[in-house]
Amino acid sequence: MKKLLMVMLTLVAVFLAACGGNDENTIQFWTPLTGDDGAYMDQLVEDYNATEPEIEVKHIITSDMYTKMYTVLNSGNGIPDLSIIHADRVPSFVKQDLLEPVTEIMEAQPELNADNYIEEAWSAGEVDGTQYTIPLDIHGSAMYYNQDLLEKYDVEHWLDDNVVTFDEMLSLQGQLEEGDYVLNDALLSWVLLAQIQNLGGDIQENGEPAVNTDAMRESIEAVKELNDAGLMTPYGEDGYLMFQSGNVLFSTDGTWSSTGHAQVEDLNFGVTNIYAFEPDTFHNRSSAHLFAMLSNEERSEEKEQGIADFLEFVRENSIEWAEAGQIVASQDVIESPEYENYMQSFFTSTQEQEDSLYIYTYEHYPYVQEAMDNYVADLVHGEMDINTGLEEMQKFVEDKVAEGSLDMENTELLDEDELEEELSEE
Amino acid sequence: MFEKIKVSKYLAYLFLIIVSAIWAIPVLFGIVTSFRSQTEVVNEGFRLLPVNWIVENYVNILENTSTAPIMQWLWNSIFIATMHTLLVVVVISITGYGYSRMKFKGRDLLFFTLLGISFFPNVVNLIPSYKIIDILGWVNTPWAMIVPGLAGMGNIFLVRQFMKGIPMELDESARVDGASDFKIFSRIILPLIRPVLIVCGLFSFTGSWNDFLWPVIVYTDVNKMPVTAGLLLLQDVYGNYRMIGQLMGSAILAIIPTLLLFFFAQKYFVSAINLNSGIKG
Amino acid sequence: MKEHGKFAPLFFVGPHIILFIVFILIPSIYGIYASFTNWNLVGSPEWVGLDNYKTILANSDSTFYSQFFNGMKNTLIFVGLSVPLMIVIPLMIAVALEHKEVKFTSLFQTLIYIPGLVSISAAALIWSLIFNKQLGVVNNMFGSEQVWTATQPYAWITIIIITVWAGIGGNMIIYRAGINGVSKDLYESAEIDGAGPIRKFWNVTLPSIKFPLIYTMVMTTAGAFNVFAQPLMMTDGGPRQSTTVLMMYIRDLAFSHGESIAGVASAMAVMLGLVLLVISAIQYYIMNKNATT
Repeated sequence: MKKLLMVMLTLVAVFLAACGGNDENTIQFWTPLTGDDGAYMDQLVEDYNATEPEIEVKHIITSDMYTKMYTVLNSGNGIPDLSIIHADRVPSFVKQDLLEPVTEIMEAQPELNADNYIEEAWSAGEVDGTQYTIPLDIHGSAMYYNQDLLEKYDVEHWLDDNVVTFDEMLSLQGQLEEGDYVLNDALLSWVLLAQIQNLGGDIQENGEPAVNTDAMRESIEAVKELNDAGLMTPYGEDGYLMFQSGNVLFSTDGTWSSTGHAQVEDLNFGVTNIYAFEPDTFHNRSSAHLFAMLSNEERSEEKEQGIADFLEFVRENSIEWAEAGQIVASQDVIESPEYENYMQSFFTSTQEQEDSLYIYTYEHYPYVQEAMDNYVADLVHGEMDINTGLEEMQKFVEDKVAEGSLDMENTELLDEDELEEELSEE
Repeated sequence: MFEKIKVSKYLAYLFLIIVSAIWAIPVLFGIVTSFRSQTEVVNEGFRLLPVNWIVENYVNILENTSTAPIMQWLWNSIFIATMHTLLVVVVISITGYGYSRMKFKGRDLLFFTLLGISFFPNVVNLIPSYKIIDILGWVNTPWAMIVPGLAGMGNIFLVRQFMKGIPMELDESARVDGASDFKIFSRIILPLIRPVLIVCGLFSFTGSWNDFLWPVIVYTDVNKMPVTAGLLLLQDVYGNYRMIGQLMGSAILAIIPTLLLFFFAQKYFVSAINLNSGIKG
Repeated sequence: MKEHGKFAPLFFVGPHIILFIVFILIPSIYGIYASFTNWNLVGSPEWVGLDNYKTILANSDSTFYSQFFNGMKNTLIFVGLSVPLMIVIPLMIAVALEHKEVKFTSLFQTLIYIPGLVSISAAALIWSLIFNKQLGVVNNMFGSEQVWTATQPYAWITIIIITVWAGIGGNMIIYRAGINGVSKDLYESAEIDGAGPIRKFWNVTLPSIKFPLIYTMVMTTAGAFNVFAQPLMMTDGGPRQSTTVLMMYIRDLAFSHGESIAGVASAMAVMLGLVLLVISAIQYYIMNKNATT
């Protein structure tokens, strides 16, 4: 017993000695950027702090950031001053009154305005005419090609117009060596979300979720045709790794994967648009990392000024962020000659390319995406009847919206002050 | 008779060798993979030995000290897991004594009620649990990891049963001599339950070391995290980007301390258990 | 003879009860309360009475109803497949390790315990490489053409394999301790009666380790009901949500990308807890009774 106690006391003493204090006069900055992305952001923050600003920024990486946000918002304690959130969170966060507008930030640093950022990234943070976020980047679907395989099958000309079409891919039916495939099924729901745009469809109708639509059906059927023709990597196989091992012509994953693919030494790859029906109508489903401030009464004006200074610094210097493979949102950066060295500069090389980046801003988009993630692999690979699947997906989203909206009504009954009071009390 | 023992001995060996081979090969495969490049993994697939041994995966993991201070994480984990384990041993031995050797009204009903409640899935209890930690001021401190786990019932269940196997006559004769409960507990019972405490200690240490859901919520400071939660930051990415070698490397680094403890503790619990026959119906 | 004082029990069980109230009871009560509300985790919960339970238990049109029953069915399948293996395999290993002439027991024991220490994400990747159709060994060695994680019953088999592989170490140690504690006299008298190894196992070993069996069965079952990492990592619930266990639905409802639906999630969790409770009680009752008669 005594020995036990001794061990414990020693450990506590050593441990407490090892812990430093915590400075309150810093901007607490939360991001969900794990791994290398986090390291690039760390570098940016470090560079900023090296300019000796009045208030330093403290970068905190969280692997389960949104769950943690709920916990701090609920307890009203430890709410970060600044954070990076994804574009698809904005509508529901705003509706729940969880975000503060960035109006004052924009006043403090006039360069933080719409003209200086990619339009799609900027407008992702706008709800009913109020700006809630400042963009860092756009990231989203991208299609990587294996140059060697294109040559092997003599189809390099598919890339001439920068858009590979369904018909082009179908022309290779029956001509592939065993073990080779034209495309994989990575990020399949994102690919389908791009096709819906290509067909002029949408995922909502007058604010109601619309999943069981002709555009959705047509998109799924078209991709299923590729699967049925034996062109797509089989269900349940790791198509991403199969692309890296050089057996797949096209991998439909994300802008950020270029760093991963680059690790494979003899993989001769490049990036292009997600495949489409017609060469002149193409989209790449995108998301964005956006700087946002969670509602918090205690955020002082000095801190807001500090946040504005930091964001202005990022706007000018975020070339670092291109290392992470993301499409930087700041016009200054993407217009700089250095940026052309990065593969993803392809997506901002022309106005037409920039217009292909599409962010869904529908309030219930996350539920739609969740439904698609649950079902589309089964539908495309013929595991499930498409009609049944579409009906179930529609039902899935409607039921979730119905449950969620009850909560909204509940929140809307409270006015802003009451809500804030409640948040800080709990 | 002699023949029978021989046959059963060979059967036992055969069975153990087959099982441990099946159990060990994936681990070996993981270790070896941590020394292979991504290029090799995707091109060669499953093979036991790499074509080229490389250490870059480990270099990459260890170099990134700003977002992934692995050595700091390991130290945090050692502190947390050790403190937790020591406190668990104290709590379960005292509580186990209360539920097995003291007579009070509704004792077993109370015990099984608590056990039943502890079975409720704790997934949606995350928010209230966090609030409690917040009220106690334990966010970003090791106490958030050390203390809540002490409330668990599983180990107490084990200790209680183990104590039931110790003859009551021991207590009674001590009591005749005028010993108090505390004396009976510390002088008679505690030395006898050492084996089960070592087993429970091992389980607690491993459990605390491997818990990753809770620490992600209660720590925001990357320097204060335990290693499993910290590695989750990395593994998220290695997993998403399928950086297989680095994922394996980080997993291997994280198991080394527990593995050493296991080697060390194993000697104790095998020999100690021989001393008595506590676990009985 | 001195009986213990009135407050002595309080001293021994009291500290733990305080810990229990603060860290388990209060959060659980809140969780149960949340199951009667609509809650998005951020605002305050809004009382809706039994609505959530009506939805998941009786409204067959609702997605949550089909999620609940599908998840519960899959959870029960997982429990039914994994728990017996998690009992029988470590028991066999423990018996072999306790064979009096077997050496290197520490080595065997360590090899079998290590997988439990490997993080689940790394373990899942190791096994998915092993099962991979092109790169893996399983298909090359056995010449099967299956994509394991996408076809039933193989999807379940992969989940069970990784679960058993990573999960038997603790039970093995408890059984060893139990078998080691069985009095040698019992074996000797059985031998005098002419009992062979199998009869000794059934007549001496098994009845003597009744508690370790009950304990591991109850705890393993509780763990199996809470499973989510293995199916999430190995099959992502597929094919056609046939391996999506209830805990995956609960986590999705509470912590997915959209606004949280924590009330329904809590109701599902409470139902899961109740089913688990009933099953554990039955296990405990049957095994306790069988062994005493």
